[in-house]
Amino acid sequence: MPEVVSLLEEWADVDLIYPEEELSALGDVRVEHDLYVLKSGAELALSLAGALDAVGAAILNPYPIAARCRDKIIATRILQRAGVPVPETFVTVHSNRLARLLDAGPLVVKPYRGSEGRGVHVVWEPDELDDISANHGPVFAQRYHEPQGRDRKIYCIGGQVFGVKRVWPVRTLEDKLGEPFTIMPELRDIALRCGRAFGLELYGLDVIFSDGRPYVVDISSFPGFKGVPDAALRLADYIYSAAHRMMEGNPAVRASTRVGQS
Amino acid sequence: MKAVVIGPGRIGCGVAGQLLRASGHDVVFVGRDPRLMDHLNRVGRYRVRLARGRAERELEVGPVRAVCCTERAQVARELADAGLVVTAVGAPNLPLIAPLIASGLTLRREPLNVLAFENSPDAGARLARLVGPRVAARHGFAGAVVHRAVPHRLGDPRGSEPLLFIGDDPETVVVDARPLVRPLPEIQGVVCTGDYGAWMRRKLYLYSAGHATAAYLGHVKGYHYIHTAVRDPEIRATVLAAMAEAQAGLARRYGREVAGDRRDLEDILDRFANPALDDPVERVGRDPRRKLAADERLVGAALAALQAGVRPVNLELAVAAALCFRAPQDLSASELERDIRSTGRGAAIRDVCGLEPTDGLGRAVMEMWDRLLAASAGCLLLRLDHPLWAWRPDERAKAYA
Repeated sequence: MPEVVSLLEEWADVDLIYPEEELSALGDVRVEHDLYVLKSGAELALSLAGALDAVGAAILNPYPIAARCRDKIIATRILQRAGVPVPETFVTVHSNRLARLLDAGPLVVKPYRGSEGRGVHVVWEPDELDDISANHGPVFAQRYHEPQGRDRKIYCIGGQVFGVKRVWPVRTLEDKLGEPFTIMPELRDIALRCGRAFGLELYGLDVIFSDGRPYVVDISSFPGFKGVPDAALRLADYIYSAAHRMMEGNPAVRASTRVGQS
Repeated sequence: MKAVVIGPGRIGCGVAGQLLRASGHDVVFVGRDPRLMDHLNRVGRYRVRLARGRAERELEVGPVRAVCCTERAQVARELADAGLVVTAVGAPNLPLIAPLIASGLTLRREPLNVLAFENSPDAGARLARLVGPRVAARHGFAGAVVHRAVPHRLGDPRGSEPLLFIGDDPETVVVDARPLVRPLPEIQGVVCTGDYGAWMRRKLYLYSAGHATAAYLGHVKGYHYIHTAVRDPEIRATVLAAMAEAQAGLARRYGREVAGDRRDLEDILDRFANPALDDPVERVGRDPRRKLAADERLVGAALAALQAGVRPVNLELAVAAALCFRAPQDLSASELERDIRSTGRGAAIRDVCGLEPTDGLGRAVMEMWDRLLAASAGCLLLRLDHPLWAWRPDERAKAYA
């Protein structure tokens, strides 16, 4: 992101806001910029984006959409409804209720508001469920599908769709950057379907292939876009064009991407 | 002196009107949009912002007057006592204004210079032909090469705030001295040359070729703005190399003085990187059919390079990228796409570029085009030297919805 910021600073006036490092008076939250870019995944940043949204700020990605993406329960249902292939998904507050589901195969259990693979467990046996604490709220579980080959990261910047193959878990910087690949129309279709389902233009998908079938196992609003060639320049170019659309009186997110549009 | 500027658009106001007023001349605009003419008369002035990077200066241009071209008698009277006429209507529109100019010139006894600020090699001679030999004979119709880029006009002609034209800072206008029938008055930035063709081609083969290369490669790689596209190291290097190929051709044909040196190319590249111009790739790339003609910026420059013994690989790539240019709002691009589909790629290279697709430059372009073919089918290229593709958002995306 620093590289994106330094490019944007050459082209426009940019202020950086770090809510976690500042004391913010809520009464002072008002619209002072043409466009706000919500990059941080921290809870306070998301809430302050919501506060800005409530007073009429234009935000990229739009706050309600970023908030939906953050909650895997909501996000997964939106994806299911849009016909996106996702693993069978269950939610509960009592992890032991997942036990009977293990008869049909292992589950992947994740924090329902987690990111970057933190707190993800593959559960094979009922006794492993005891290790999963429900103290932090709902338990989110998906049917485990044995991945074939490396995970596919699909990144979208303003409708442009990029593919990066990445090993998981990530151990080195090289692992993190992954390897760009030319994505096939089937994956592109899935990626665009996801974007349209949310009304998102900046997002990332985690896709695995199992038995030759793709499954979207996560969606994130404004990820790091690691491995996308010239990602910083492309992001800066897109954010700049979104700001222009705003200043011309148009929505930052284009009509074709907004929810409810075909 | 009173100057009549026909075409109160970006070049008419942002260059001709500004330089004429800065030199102390009266300016009367003639245009076809009644709302714009009314605005200029009501407000009597406009502003020009000249920017390079974050540095900018704003100039107020006024007082000015305007006459709508539908008031033919009034236009003729304005032309009858003008000291100079400038046209800035876009070369394809010259036939529309020729009768207007003819009606004014028939009222005159004094010879008059008509400067065509059209960045076209033959705009002066063409306008003279359109006006008619009998009327044009006593007057001077000269082409002019405008160096300043003025990509934007902001403001609402219905309002009372002055319109704002945004451009970059060069102010040189090179005028063809040969057709002039009387000395030009002192006008800031205007220089006359007896070697107009050479300077015209310098602009076309360096600035315009570089600009087009940045636009078409920017499109292939999925950027929205020229200033962003030339920040991409591959595009930057290719644009610079394409201009260097063209410069070699210019040097052989016209000598080093006209061709310039490496610093000139870097200066042009700096202008492309100017974010203040906010120049969209789609705007610069529009009308690819015209820009791909044999005597135009890309193919013309490539042929000149070949004559100098330089293989124009970067210009070949730019031509191939131009053949892949798709912009739903651009009629010319849509027509070109349709023609390529119906007649085939070889025929397009022959018909549009005037090149033989199985030989020489035409074959080289065809080979480059093979590498870029997916760009015509909704893809964007991630590396210019490696077939790694992503998808662009376009109409085809709906097919997958």
